[in-house]
Amino acid sequence: MNTSYGFKEYVKDIFTGSKSLVIGMGVTLKRLFQPIVTVQYPRQKPIMTPHFRGHIEAILFDDNKSHHCVACGLCARTCPSHVIKVQGEKTKAGDKKYGKKYFIDFTKCSLCGLCVDVCPEKTLKFSNEYELAFFSRWDGVMDLMQRLEERK
Amino acid sequence: MNMTQLPIIKDVYGFLGPDLMACVTGLLLILMFVPLNSAFLVWVERKVAGHIQLRPGPMEVGPHGILQSLIDAVKLMCKEMITPDLADKYLFWIAPCTVVIPAIVCFVVIPFSPIMQVRELNVGILLIFAFSSISGLSILMGGWASNNKYSLIGAVRAVAQSIAYEIPLLLSTMSVIIMSNSLKMSEIVAAQSPVWNFVWQPVAAIIFIICTTAETNRAPFDLVEAESELVSGFHTEYTGMRDALFFMAEYTAMFIGSSMAVVLFFGGWYGPFFSGIFWFVLKAYLLVFVTVWIRWTFPRLRFDQLMNFAWKVLIPISLLNLLVTAIVIKVL
Repeated sequence: MNTSYGFKEYVKDIFTGSKSLVIGMGVTLKRLFQPIVTVQYPRQKPIMTPHFRGHIEAILFDDNKSHHCVACGLCARTCPSHVIKVQGEKTKAGDKKYGKKYFIDFTKCSLCGLCVDVCPEKTLKFSNEYELAFFSRWDGVMDLMQRLEERK
Repeated sequence: MNMTQLPIIKDVYGFLGPDLMACVTGLLLILMFVPLNSAFLVWVERKVAGHIQLRPGPMEVGPHGILQSLIDAVKLMCKEMITPDLADKYLFWIAPCTVVIPAIVCFVVIPFSPIMQVRELNVGILLIFAFSSISGLSILMGGWASNNKYSLIGAVRAVAQSIAYEIPLLLSTMSVIIMSNSLKMSEIVAAQSPVWNFVWQPVAAIIFIICTTAETNRAPFDLVEAESELVSGFHTEYTGMRDALFFMAEYTAMFIGSSMAVVLFFGGWYGPFFSGIFWFVLKAYLLVFVTVWIRWTFPRLRFDQLMNFAWKVLIPISLLNLLVTAIVIKVL
């Protein structure tokens, strides 16, 4: 408080102070009756936004009811952490190659997204998976094609 | 119970007369009520704090976490009680013991209903004020004996604060006492049977609530245990059940302060339809809720602001209020 302080200011201070205190109490009282925003996690699952970046995932296309991966290996080569391993397969000579196995080691992935950017067939995307805690390092290694089969 | 039929008991406890039964049952009820009440209030506090911040508060133990503070009490009882090496052993041990004395003694005179009062005293209000001062003493003892700079600063602040805020507290009580012309709790309540004192003394009531908040060292006046500057103030060095006793004393002091406000300003046990005890407890807990609500609304004051507020605002206003009350009573 200022020492050069008139009686008028003193009284005015008390009234403006009391008013602002009452307004503050009103704000918290309103908050008290608003719905809570906490998600009780193990019992309730939060819904992730579409832009959430989990590990990569093969997109399921409608035209051939599968992925478009041609096992070119660009993702594996561009990956800065050497996380990706792609195996392709041809059914007969002269045929197009297509992705058979697609392993990623998520424990080393830095989620940079270069694989998604570089994919010529645009068959990679980020998943909405967020429960990415594992008991073993091998649990972090997953086969995207197998996950795609499970999603079909 | 007629004590004259039991000659042996009469010989031993004769000086107590028929009060013995009331004394024993009353004390037992108080000793049961004090810990349960503070456990309940801790839960209420955490719940209200949670909902004000849009989160649910404790949810895991029992329905809506109602057993959380009982479990916490069990945990605190199991914890090791550490005494710092350079602490004053005896004072360090005595401080938490004395801090619960006001918590228990003050309940003796609180009139929950016309018949639910352990002991009617002519100077009930005085007894409560006298014994609540012990908590200030034990905070000073605890802070001093801890041999810790944070504890000591917290304790010094507690003493300065209680000196500053006891004056407007007593002055605002004084204006009610002038009106009802008695220091007896039940007579003060009986004097407000048509209209509550709050209608005649709103300024005194607000000052009283502010001062009890400061006396019980609760936010926004919790400089005694300001976490951001003093670790946790005077009970920094306390662990386990000793720390829990300080907590219990704080929450019981809250309840006692609210009951005092109910007795002095909000018509005690008077209310329609239900019995006296229901109304008294309801009003007391509503006032406790208001204190909790205040805590989770306002930020902590700076120490000079705290002192300025007491000496420059509360004391002049309560003096003026007392003066006006005295003149009005004399003229009418």
